[in-house]
Amino acid sequence: MTRTLKITGWTMIGLGVLILVFLGYQLIGTNFLTARSQDLAQETVGEHFVAAQEGIEAVDTLPPPPVEFGTPESPPPEDETPVVHYREPIPEDGVAFGVMLIPKIEAEHVLFEGVDRATLKKGPGHMPWTPLPGQPGNAVVSGHRTTYGAPFFDLDQLVPGDEISVETALGVHTYVVRSSLIVAPTAVEVTDAKRGGWLTLTTCNPKFSARERLIVSAELVDGPNFAYALAEKHFMPAEAS
Amino acid sequence: MRRLFALLPGPLPVRVIVALFALALVLVALFFLFEWGGDLLDSGGVVGPGQ
Repeated sequence: MTRTLKITGWTMIGLGVLILVFLGYQLIGTNFLTARSQDLAQETVGEHFVAAQEGIEAVDTLPPPPVEFGTPESPPPEDETPVVHYREPIPEDGVAFGVMLIPKIEAEHVLFEGVDRATLKKGPGHMPWTPLPGQPGNAVVSGHRTTYGAPFFDLDQLVPGDEISVETALGVHTYVVRSSLIVAPTAVEVTDAKRGGWLTLTTCNPKFSARERLIVSAELVDGPNFAYALAEKHFMPAEAS
Repeated sequence: MRRLFALLPGPLPVRVIVALFALALVLVALFFLFEWGGDLLDSGGVVGPGQ
């Protein structure tokens, strides 16, 4: 009996230590790994910006949208010059291609191409099957909530009107939060194409659980493709975007 | 630990190799356990059919 109690006791202590080590590694240790990746990426993203300049091209034009179609944050051009769609080269998987700034939650993170496990350990990742941030359509970026640097720890604090900016090789793209919602992890419809320019941020919800997803949707209000995204929203039929 | 090591079969060099192998297995098991547990805590926020 005493021997059984002793073995049970030591087993419980062992499991307790294992859980503590696990939590320590996940909630503290992984932050160091991601911080190191972000530091390195701060250097390589600049190199990517320079290298990608050569690949930037004007791929389409549209007539300017009517003035009343603009938003108060940044009205569209009032002249009749066609608006241009600029496209930058698609980065390779795992490459640092942009920097995202969310002033409200004091978040600044280098963005990587891809949402596989290894890439998300380095920082927020862009879903490769969606347009890049700054492009017309719905650009989707996913990130950890509580581990690996917790880039989206305070994402729930964002409310409509808050600003998010993303710098890519093309320039700085400014978005304004329009909505946030909580969905099931399988709710792929949040990644669907949209008319205009959109940025969708996805992360786990609630904190310390992967039971749901917190989705923040922001609309492009300024940047190299803003006028084009606005014109596309106005002139193109819904099914074309 | 010493008692467990003493329970291993064979002469000392064999026991050392077996012990190292067992340690490696435990570390690999821990790695996968931590990865699996990490996904329960925070899977990265990706939305999709396999989530």
